[in-house]
Amino acid sequence: MNSLIILAALGLIILFSEIFNFKKIIFPIVFAGIIAAIVAALGDWNNSASYFNNMIRTDNYAVSFSVLILFITLLWFVMSSSMFEDQETRTDYFSLIVFSLIGALVMVSFTNLIMLFLGIEILSISMYALAGSKKDNLASNEAAMKYFLLGAFTTGFLLFGIALVYGITGSFNTDQISEYIMSTGHSSSPVLIAGILLILTALTFKIAAAPFHFWAPDVYQGAPTPVTAFMSSVVKTAAIASFLRLFGSAFAGPSEFWIATLWVISAITIVLGNILAVYQTNLKRMLAYSSISHAGYMIMSVIALNEKAASSLLFYTAAYGISSLAAFMVLLIVSSKSGTEEISGLRGMFSKNPIMASAACIAVLSLAGIPPLAGFFAKYYIFSAALQSGYTGLVLIAVAGSLVGVFYYFRIIINIFESNVQMNDLGVNVFNKAFLLICSLLALLFGILPGLIIDAI
Amino acid sequence: METTSLPTDYFPIAIQFFVALGFVLTTMVATHLLGPKRKSKVKLEAFECGIESQGNARIPFTIKYFLVAILFVLFDVEVIFMYPWAVNFKELGTTGIIEMFIFMLLLLTGFYYIIKKGALKWE
Repeated sequence: MNSLIILAALGLIILFSEIFNFKKIIFPIVFAGIIAAIVAALGDWNNSASYFNNMIRTDNYAVSFSVLILFITLLWFVMSSSMFEDQETRTDYFSLIVFSLIGALVMVSFTNLIMLFLGIEILSISMYALAGSKKDNLASNEAAMKYFLLGAFTTGFLLFGIALVYGITGSFNTDQISEYIMSTGHSSSPVLIAGILLILTALTFKIAAAPFHFWAPDVYQGAPTPVTAFMSSVVKTAAIASFLRLFGSAFAGPSEFWIATLWVISAITIVLGNILAVYQTNLKRMLAYSSISHAGYMIMSVIALNEKAASSLLFYTAAYGISSLAAFMVLLIVSSKSGTEEISGLRGMFSKNPIMASAACIAVLSLAGIPPLAGFFAKYYIFSAALQSGYTGLVLIAVAGSLVGVFYYFRIIINIFESNVQMNDLGVNVFNKAFLLICSLLALLFGILPGLIIDAI
Repeated sequence: METTSLPTDYFPIAIQFFVALGFVLTTMVATHLLGPKRKSKVKLEAFECGIESQGNARIPFTIKYFLVAILFVLFDVEVIFMYPWAVNFKELGTTGIIEMFIFMLLLLTGFYYIIKKGALKWE
């Protein structure tokens, strides 16, 4: 809970750094603030307590996801320093990111549907503004507009669903909702089913799962690359974690019908995301489709709904977050030097930029799920959790989907190692090299020692 | 809580619905048929409290107008939190006062920020 207060204070400090003229040193302040927030979050470990009239509970689930989100943001700040070069707008971007983190933390630690709604809104509104932060770029404006209109629309779905659930159960509290449904056996009430399905729709929109994924490719492609990386790592982690937290607690009782729905959504997402990614020639758009397909795998943990679900989801989001950050970093460097976001822009990268090329390969292989990298064990744990609950058919679809995934991920690697074309030295600075190295090492480390995360919760 | 309601219980609501609908339709049709029809330039002009209307209402506004308007809404809506707090003032006690002061402090911080940022400067 203290981490929330630290982040809120940090956001205010950033805003006032412009007025009191200390925005030159704002980068170290943000860094220190987020590290302080991580430490504060870790202080709640094994020390579950409820705050604000049972609105928020800092159980181990909340703490582990909060720490993951803050840690990924820390890495993200290293990657996206180019976004904060403009003195005019840097404080705005910094504070928007920090405020969106508050939303993310609320989303993973709520015990009240109102807090879920507030968390999603705090996160989303910052992201709407950030998606359009390249003000003179038409694609960025379009991305912000699309994201905002569709996001606001689905927020209506969420509120409507919450209202219906409240109407039946008489409570916003997830424990009381679950208790009420269990004790009265109202699970077959059509109003409750409608409410749960509306909430499910809104949340699948936020994680960009098919058939609610249509906004994702355009928004991911149009938004500035650092913002896209943030959306596909931090925002996705927060959204799927809140999904599992809600459906694993409040609605775990009447699970048959929404698991059937999610089963289909997950299967469609995996198949569609992977197949559509094959046809993309734009690297950013391809990563967007890959991010959609990964949402499908993440949903499998919600479907599994057993004691392994939380830990496998944590591992998956960690592995995916780190790998996709590295992939977006490579895209950012290449596109800023060559001006193209096409996959062909990577041609012949290995000969002159071996470090970056290797990091890109590790990131892509981890996304594809090749052992011994983190992505492989992430998929392994999610699949085994789903198998344990008896969803063999879905796991078969998911495996077939990842095989399609390997195809387009390897296209990136083939382009990198192409020897006919020579790419110039991109002149990657030490900062970025260190970032790529850290991401690669983490992907390897989590792959070799998956117990570090998987045994955490 | 566990009272059952039969479909027949909604019968009065249905009657009310049809009466309301019928009243609106009848009056509209009746005035249309009964009233005299005079169409002159003065009569068809939009009524603006007696002042002659000028130009089109759909003209581009300066963006500052929207900024001021949204800030007004922001600081106006905040009063909503004051009313329930004032009503429950005694029950909430000292904690309530402290929480309200933190809230107002944050609000004033925001106010200070927008003034310093020049959001309220018109020129």
